[in-house]
Formats: sequence, C-alpha cells, structure tokens
Amino acid sequence: MLSDNLSIELIQLWKKYYRENLFHRSLRDDLMNFIRPSKNKSLLENNEFWALKDINIDVKKGESIGLYGPNGSGKSTLLKLIANVTFPTRGHVSVNGRVAPLIEIGAGFHKDLTGRENIYMNGAILGMTISEIKTKMDSIIAFSEIEDFIDMSVKKYSSGMYLRLGFSIAIHSEAEILLIDEILAVGDEAFKDKCIQKVMELKQRGKTMVIVTHNRKLMEKVADRVVFLEKGVIL
Amino acid sequence: MIQISIYKRLKNYKDLMLVFIWREFTIRYKQSFIGILWAVIQPLSMMLLFTFVFTYIKPVKFSNYPYVLFLYSALLPWSFFSSSVNYAVPSLTNHYNLITKIYFPREILPLSGIAVAIIDFCIASLVYMVLLAVFRADITWNVLWFVPLFSLLVIFTVSVCLIFSALNVYYRDVKLATGFVIQLWFFATPVFYSIDKVSLKLKLILFLNPLTFIIENMRRCVVEGRGVILWQFALELSLTVLLFFAAYRYFLITEKKFADVI
Repeated sequence: MLSDNLSIELIQLWKKYYRENLFHRSLRDDLMNFIRPSKNKSLLENNEFWALKDINIDVKKGESIGLYGPNGSGKSTLLKLIANVTFPTRGHVSVNGRVAPLIEIGAGFHKDLTGRENIYMNGAILGMTISEIKTKMDSIIAFSEIEDFIDMSVKKYSSGMYLRLGFSIAIHSEAEILLIDEILAVGDEAFKDKCIQKVMELKQRGKTMVIVTHNRKLMEKVADRVVFLEKGVIL
Repeated sequence: MIQISIYKRLKNYKDLMLVFIWREFTIRYKQSFIGILWAVIQPLSMMLLFTFVFTYIKPVKFSNYPYVLFLYSALLPWSFFSSSVNYAVPSLTNHYNLITKIYFPREILPLSGIAVAIIDFCIASLVYMVLLAVFRADITWNVLWFVPLFSLLVIFTVSVCLIFSALNVYYRDVKLATGFVIQLWFFATPVFYSIDKVSLKLKLILFLNPLTFIIENMRRCVVEGRGVILWQFALELSLTVLLFFAAYRYFLITEKKFADVI
C-alpha cells in the first residue's frame, strides 16, 4: 500500500506494445492465457517493443515533476498508466487521490453541443458532480473569457476558443493529481501567461502535478524535479 | 458478488452517467426539425408497411383483433432492442478519444445508449396507449406482466450490448455485421407473425431466441389479455441473468485492453 505522503508510486514498471494492429493477436492471447496462464510476459516476441523499461518514480504529495524527452520516449504512455487508462505489462502503479488528466484538452467536447453544454460534459468526464459544475459554471466561463460565445455550438469555435474553454474546465477540477500534457502552450500570449499563473497557483494549493512539455523554460519554472526519458528508460 | 462490483463501479460515476444520457438524448435530436417525433416514426412506419402488405398484397389473418395492434405491441419492444444494439455496438469505438485518455467505467457508454432507447420506448408507448384506446382493446389485469417482461428485455439487451460493444473494439466486423444480423433477427422474432399456430417442433426452435418469449408474451399480456406461464418466465429470467453475469464478466476482462487495442 502507498504511504501517506506519496501521491504516485511507480515500481519497476514495464510496458510492452505491439507494432502492428494487435487486435486478433491479443484476443487469441487472452484465450491462450485462459487455458494456460504461464506464458512469460517479460520476453519480447516478434514485432513487440518496450515503450517503458523498468521505470521507478515516486511523487510526493504536492510535488510537481516534469517529464522531458524526445518524441516517442514514453512520456504519454507513462501518463496513461498513471491515469489508469492502460495497464502495465509488469510492475505496479499506485495512485493516491483523484486524477484529472488534462491530456489533449477538449477530448470530451462534442461539436454539436454549445460551450455551456460541453462544460457539463467535460466537467463530468473529469470527475466533477453536476452540482459542482453548476456552482463553478460562472467561474469557468469567466476564466475562459469567451462569455459572448458560450451558448454557441463549439463547432463554430476557433481553435483558440476551444482550448480556452477546455483549459478553464480542467483547472476547476477538484482532483488532487493533475496530469498536464503539452497544454500550457494554449491560446495567445496573454492567455498563456494566465494559464501558467493559474498552474502556479494550483501548485501552491498543494496539488500534485506531472507535467509534460518541450518548453524547457516553462518546465524549470513549474516543475520541482525533472525526469529525463529516452526510449522508455529514465536517464 | 458481481452486483456489488457493478454498484461500486458506477456509484461514483452516477453524474457522468446522467450527463452522458442527457447528451445522447440532446444530440440525437439537435438540428432536427421534428425532433422527438422520430422516436415514434420508426415503429409507426413499420406498422403501416406491414399492415399494408398483409391487408392488401397478401391478406393473412394473424389475429381476431386489428392487425395494427397485433403489430405495434411487438414492434414497440423490438424497436427498443434494435435501436439499443445499433447505438451500443459502436459506442466504445466512437469514443476513441475518451477511452485512450481518461478513465471511467467503460460500460457507461453502451449503457447510456440503452437508457436513451428506454426514453424512446416510453414515448412510443404513449402512441401504444392511444392505439389501445382507439381500437378498444380488452385490457385485463394480465397487463401488469408488461413490467417484468420489459425488465427481462432490458437485462437481455444490456447483456447483448456489453458483449458486442466490447467485441467491436477488437473486431470492427461486429459493427459491419450488426445491420444485417439485426434484420435477420427481426424475421426470427415473432413481430409480424405469431408462434401460436406453428408446430411444437418449430416453436421449440423459435424459443431458442430469447426475444421470442419476451416479445410474444408482451403482446399476449396486453392486447390478448393472456397471462404468462410462471415456470417459463422463471426459466427465461434465470437464463437471462446468467447471460448478464457472463457478459459483464467478459466486458470487465476485455476492458483493461480497450485503450491498447482500440
């Protein structure tokens, strides 16, 4: 079990992916495993590769860590494992508290719904209750600065407006752990500054954060500690 | 045991589920002129078509009461089943964006589609009541069977949707097959005909389809005033509940790989 002052604990984490479509293969695997579950999972078979190899990371409560590395180094896979979206091939992921993955803002938006309706949608996906969303509605709209367009369907939004709304919903989540993937680069300069300021404020309020960004300066500003990844290994 | 796990899984996501249901309902009829009337148009137009065929093209007498009632009483549950399946099967793959990014119990997606189909069912039931009044059906106390039969239909539909939506994540063939399988299934189910007059051997074959029992009885209990044979109901219920547990288990096992496979 996770000790009280730890937020995220990753122990000897390995994640294997298959290069080709693994669909029928994995169903066959499931059937095979069902019949004889002894198959050695730590060996690589044809066309498989390790997306993450032997990752050990502890994140304390209220700590912000940055993940830095070239494309394909396993940063996003790591976030997915913390978000409980995918499961490790070997090793353990322990997470203490609610996770809000601010990955690709607006993933839950539906183009036919208005901005306001999408706030309900995305808020609920991030784990807010309906009454919580209602009380925060004004504040979410105010932060996004798109009051005039909030009752318009989001398919008519510009990409900047889209991001503003998505970011604004995300930072209003009550989750203790925030996973931030390249989303601080949103909108125009003024809004970007406002977002960074908000993230600093959330950090001060004791939220745990895992940040992925290619912007070194930003990373140094927000993260307490940076983990360098390359080809699935911590450097 | 499994009931507890369903409850535990969905308890914290009650609001998400409500929002999903509301959203499905809203976007279905957004930018549509007649909106909610679509819920009644499908069973109504099928009813008119079949009535036309069996009255003018090949007159057949299926019942000693208006064929319109005979047909609508079965089209109503059938439409619920087919629209649930049609929505639920691609529901997981349609939400690729969410599944690969955020965790929530995945069954919320197919289940919210079924919930919308229940709303449609209620709306279409209003038309049913009008038809029953217009054609002066003899309603008896057996009409109360409608509720347990509908519950049975919901459990069966949920099981089918869980299995095939999960399978569709692995094999898109499922989605491609849905259209014609549903069509075949329609003819294998006593919607526009009745099993009353078929031979016992054929009856037994038709009863392999769980919808035969449910839909045939949903018609009998309302428009014909007949009751349901208790042991048959108990048997169908236990089989359906077993199917449901198996389906849910299968869903939970495969769910862990959705994000990797989708």
